Order: sequence, then C-alpha cells, then structure tokens
Amino acid sequence: MTSIRQNDTPDRVRNAEETLRLLATRPAPEGLIDRVQARLAATPPPSFLSNWSLFGRNGRMFSPIFSQGLRGCAAAAIVLLVAGGGFAIYSRVQPSPSAQIIVMPARVGNSGGFSNAGAMRTPDTLNGPVLANPALALPANPAQQNVIAPPQSAHPTPKPAVHPRKAPATQAK
Amino acid sequence: MSASLTLPWMEIAPSAVHHETRQHAKEDALAALVEQYASTLYRVAFSVLRNAADAEDAVQEAFLRVLRHRDSLAEVRDQRVWLVRIVWNIVLDRKRRAKTRPETDDVSELARVLPATGLTAEDRAAAAQHHTQVLVMIDKLPAKEREVLVLSAFEELTSVEIASILGITESSVRSRLFRARNLMADLLERPRSTK
Repeated sequence: MTSIRQNDTPDRVRNAEETLRLLATRPAPEGLIDRVQARLAATPPPSFLSNWSLFGRNGRMFSPIFSQGLRGCAAAAIVLLVAGGGFAIYSRVQPSPSAQIIVMPARVGNSGGFSNAGAMRTPDTLNGPVLANPALALPANPAQQNVIAPPQSAHPTPKPAVHPRKAPATQAK
Repeated sequence: MSASLTLPWMEIAPSAVHHETRQHAKEDALAALVEQYASTLYRVAFSVLRNAADAEDAVQEAFLRVLRHRDSLAEVRDQRVWLVRIVWNIVLDRKRRAKTRPETDDVSELARVLPATGLTAEDRAAAAQHHTQVLVMIDKLPAKEREVLVLSAFEELTSVEIASILGITESSVRSRLFRARNLMADLLERPRSTK
C-alpha cells in the first residue's frame, strides 16, 4: 500500500515530496464545514423532474412508483414523437431518381472518324461497309457438301456449237 | 373515542411518512459526508489550486454535485474516493481555465505560509526559498506525472485509490510516479538550465 512511497528516491526528491506533503496536510480553514452545510441548505431541491410527483407529496393519488411510471411513459412518448417525425421527414423527402443517372460526356472525334453530330437519322455510308466474317459465311446446310457428284464420261460430249447463221433455220425445223 | 373521530381523509398516508423519512435520511447522509470529508477535499483542492478561497469554492461545488446525486448515494461503493474524484475533476477544470494567471506570485506567497522547521529567521527564509523552488519545479512536470506526484503526497490515499481517482491502472500510477521522481531529480540537479 505504501510501496509507492518507498525510500529508493534521492534526498532532493524526497525533500521535494516533503513540500508536497506539507501542502497536503495543511489544515482546512475554520468553519468550512458550517459554510458548506449552509450552502447546501440554501440550495433549492436538485431538479424539477427528479422530484416530479404530479399532485404533491401526499402519495395518495399518485404514488412515487406511479409517477415514475408516468415519467417513463412520457419519456417513451417523446422518443416516439421524435422518431416518428424523423421517419415522416425521411419518407417524404426521397432522393430524385434523376440524381442516379450519370451523364457521360459525348466524345467527339476521339477515334478520328466521322461522327453523326447528334443527328436523328444517319445514312448508312457514314457507318462504313460491314465486312462479313468469312468463318461465319459458310453454307447454311452442311449436308449438301457431302453430295457426290455423278460420274462424268471420259469424253464429254461437247455442246453442239451453234452457228450463228444456222441457228434460226434449226429453230424453224 | 378519539379513534372514532379520525376520518380517512385526515390520515397521513404511510407513503408520505416514508417519503419524508427518506428525505431526512438523505439529508443526514449528506451532512455526514460533509462532516467527514470536507477537510480531505479541501486539502486535495488546495494542493492543486494553492489558493484557500478557490479550494473552498471547489469543495462547495463538489458537495453541490453530490446533492444532485444524493438519491444514488447508497450505491457508491467507496464514498471517499468518489468524493476525491469529484473534487479532483473540479480543481483540474478550474486550473485549466485559470492557466493564464501567473503562478509565481502565488507560489512564493504559499512558500511563506508553509511551516518551516528552522528556528531562526534565516532558516525559515531558506525553507521558504526551497519550497518555492520545489513548487516551481513541480509546475514544470508533465501533467500526468505531476498529478500522480501530488496525489501520492496524501498519506491516506493508496496507490489503488489514486488509480481509481485518476481513472488509470495501479501499474500506471507506479510508472508515472517513477518518471515523476526521475524528472524531479533532473530538474533539481540543474534548475537553471530549465528556466
């Protein structure tokens, strides 16, 4: 208990602490207690709310327990009022939906090409030709690729050459 | 005969009697606290404020705060430590507010008031000078170390109680006191370099 006041301190420090000890043991002025008592007696009751018992102190109509219950109810009502008011304000003031739309700035000529300059309709030429991917340009019916062509003769019959002059005669026969 | 004349509305309700009795009991308890601890609180206040009127004001304010919480007086475990803590907070607050006031004059005046052991006038003057020097050095200590050193001068306060008053652990009290003593030793060894 008194280990913090052990004698392992230098003499100078001990002398210094002796000064503090003299301060600490200085007697209180005479009449201090009476003055404090008088001040306390002259002070009004601590607070209005802590002694609040509605209809006086007879305790018949509203006992202290009942008044404490009333106080609790009043406190709860105040809390409810504040919370309800806060919720009413919160529910009425909603953030506008437009506030969530992020407007991106229009990029003009960033890629070096043409822009539509905000036109409603633009000609196809502006967008340039659409190149078809050759890998996607395969025939739609792959079964037809497996069809074997009919064998052809070694000397294929040449198509009869039609003389341009005889042609009308044969056509006449 | 007299009992038959007593009407119900003339009776004093038992709860009213209890209420009055409780009020009187609380007032008595508070008066007992004042009687028992006012002197201790004054000494604690004076050791920080070093002014009799300010210390008395602090004691009165402490008991006014107690008056506000007199309903919960019975719940206080250690009333002495609780009261010292209240007055300690009050005096620290006052000291902080009155920081601009020069303290050297108060210290020299206080040193003259402190009891001196010497017989001759020279001895007493030397003792007063020593007290002045010590009090000036103590004011130069960091606040945490100074507070522990000031409270450790009270014989009736244990290290556990000092810890409770300051709101720290007992080991912190010890380490702060150790640092305070080392700092005091340094300051007393070379007082001129610190001015």
